[in-house]
Amino acid sequence: MTLLSVRGLHVHYLTPQGTVRAVDGTDLDVPAGSIVGLVGESGCGKSTFGRALMGVLPSTAQIAAGSIVFEGRDLVPLSERERRHLRWRRMAFVPQTAMNALDPVQRLRAQLLEVLCERGGLSRAAALDRALTLLRMVGLDPRVLHDYPHQFSGGMRQRASIALALALDPALVIADEPVTALDVIVQRQVLDVLRDLQHRLDLAMVLVTHDMAVVAYACDRVAVMYAGQIVESGPVAAVLEAPFHPYTMGLSHAFPDLRDAAAALVPIEGAPPSLLSPPPGCRFAERCPFAEPACRTQPPPLVEVAQDHLAACRRSSAATELRARAMQPKTWAA
Amino acid sequence: MTGQPVPVIAGEALAKTFRLRHRTVHAVQGVSLAVRAGEALGIVGESGCGKTTTARMLLRLEDPSSGRIRFLDEDITDRRGPALLHFRARAQLVFQNPFDALNPRFTIRRSLTEPLRNFGIAREQHASRIEAALQRVRLLPAAAWLDRRPHELSGGQLQRVVLARALLPGPLLIVADEPVSMLDVSVRAGILNLLRAARDELGLAAIYISHDLALIRYVCERTAVMYLGRIVEEGPTAPLISEPLHPYTKALIAAVPVPRVGQDRAALPILGSLSENSHQDAGCVFRARCPYAVPRCAGETPELRDVGTGRRVACHLALPA
Repeated sequence: MTLLSVRGLHVHYLTPQGTVRAVDGTDLDVPAGSIVGLVGESGCGKSTFGRALMGVLPSTAQIAAGSIVFEGRDLVPLSERERRHLRWRRMAFVPQTAMNALDPVQRLRAQLLEVLCERGGLSRAAALDRALTLLRMVGLDPRVLHDYPHQFSGGMRQRASIALALALDPALVIADEPVTALDVIVQRQVLDVLRDLQHRLDLAMVLVTHDMAVVAYACDRVAVMYAGQIVESGPVAAVLEAPFHPYTMGLSHAFPDLRDAAAALVPIEGAPPSLLSPPPGCRFAERCPFAEPACRTQPPPLVEVAQDHLAACRRSSAATELRARAMQPKTWAA
Repeated sequence: MTGQPVPVIAGEALAKTFRLRHRTVHAVQGVSLAVRAGEALGIVGESGCGKTTTARMLLRLEDPSSGRIRFLDEDITDRRGPALLHFRARAQLVFQNPFDALNPRFTIRRSLTEPLRNFGIAREQHASRIEAALQRVRLLPAAAWLDRRPHELSGGQLQRVVLARALLPGPLLIVADEPVSMLDVSVRAGILNLLRAARDELGLAAIYISHDLALIRYVCERTAVMYLGRIVEEGPTAPLISEPLHPYTKALIAAVPVPRVGQDRAALPILGSLSENSHQDAGCVFRARCPYAVPRCAGETPELRDVGTGRRVACHLALPA
């Protein structure tokens, strides 16, 4: 069952230099109870996409077109009041820096109770009970309820921020780089908390990240975003093991793998195009070793390339051959 | 150490203590390490483990509370003035954040000329040295880059300029503190490959500081693992990762996610969290979080001892490699 279904979403930033098409015709499905990784480089639009889902875009941004259907209802035409009613109750946000969610000089207890009583309408006794349950769920000692977030370590803050997001039992959590600022051991522990909550609460999650290893560890599905568009999506195993888009293929040799020694790393030369005036064809064509003339003029549609696996590449029928060539470092030489 | 060339840089029993208003922080305690020409040493550990402070002491950017620093077998711990400047030209730092390592108002030419002038290199040599440095970091043709300013460059291009600037004075030692963590994944490999090539071609000694063991594995043949101010394990990188000897190294390696499916999701072999045992007296720094700790670990601080095949470990329980 699909909990969230985004179709043709366009988000524009109006800047003095012109319109930045940060999200430019993006489709994404989030099945109930699954974790979907949204992965891409800085500036690809992944954070803007996450904010559009939550309805918390900055004032310079606007949804220019598209639909965001959540629990059977399109959110785009809703008023701010109606969106506000959904936030926290049905969909909640976990930011990269927990301190953006927590007030450093207010005890955690007060912050949780405020949400539970004022937003959730719980009595104080019920709210306190719920607060303790929440702390247990994220693996925090109940005693921290009386502490201030500025006293917490990075991992504790992120756990507290997750507890706060889950306070009103949302169906969907959008987490923007939730473990990026954390050390590797703490990162692993927080990812384990998220996975555990997914199973116990049947929670769906969109996990925005730049790190394919985090996706491989924590997610069921992945959508790869490039220059404002989703270029590939599907189950994590399928996308990692048999990618159809050359960008996904290139990424897999671009960073070191701890368990896989000595393989030469190969960067993807160049940089993504400006979203002020994106090229007419495929946005990756300029950096793609497999691009053909038609790639530069016609945008490739996102189509099913294997069961439950979508990719936007004109050459996807030759993916087997391209994958073999993508393994060769010389393919990517500038 | 007969037959071994003299280390380019060596720290001996380095310690750094910061006195704060209410407490004293032992940021680094008893750290000894040495790096020879053509060798790359990685220092890994979590934030606050003392890896950056150690590197800053080796570069004489921070004075050690105790311990000595030797550069080409000469004690430079107390160097000041022109003698220190001479060392600075030979030991260069590559900054973590290329977006603020360069003056935004300077052209690339000016940013690259500055160190040459500071280190008193003859004016006639400037142009040819800058061109060679840009060539080494593959910013070609050099003339196309010189008149640009930082905002016109991408993160990867900026980091190449930062690397070129570090190479300009002709260093014997390069220290890179998280050299790619601010860069996009798709361009990180380019910078790592350049660092590797510069070290190989120029025979530099290199120290990489990172929390990322996978990155360290790619660029360093030797690795030191730090925990709460001490080196807990040190040795050749490949066996250190495939067969870690210290319980902390084991936990650290188990925690690293890999970009592949079907990975191990077993619970990590580590207890509690870092904040719970930051106060330290006698005994092993890791004991409170160690699933294998025995009473001896509380009473006696384990020394970093040689366990064969070039490996050192500070654990009472570790067997010879």
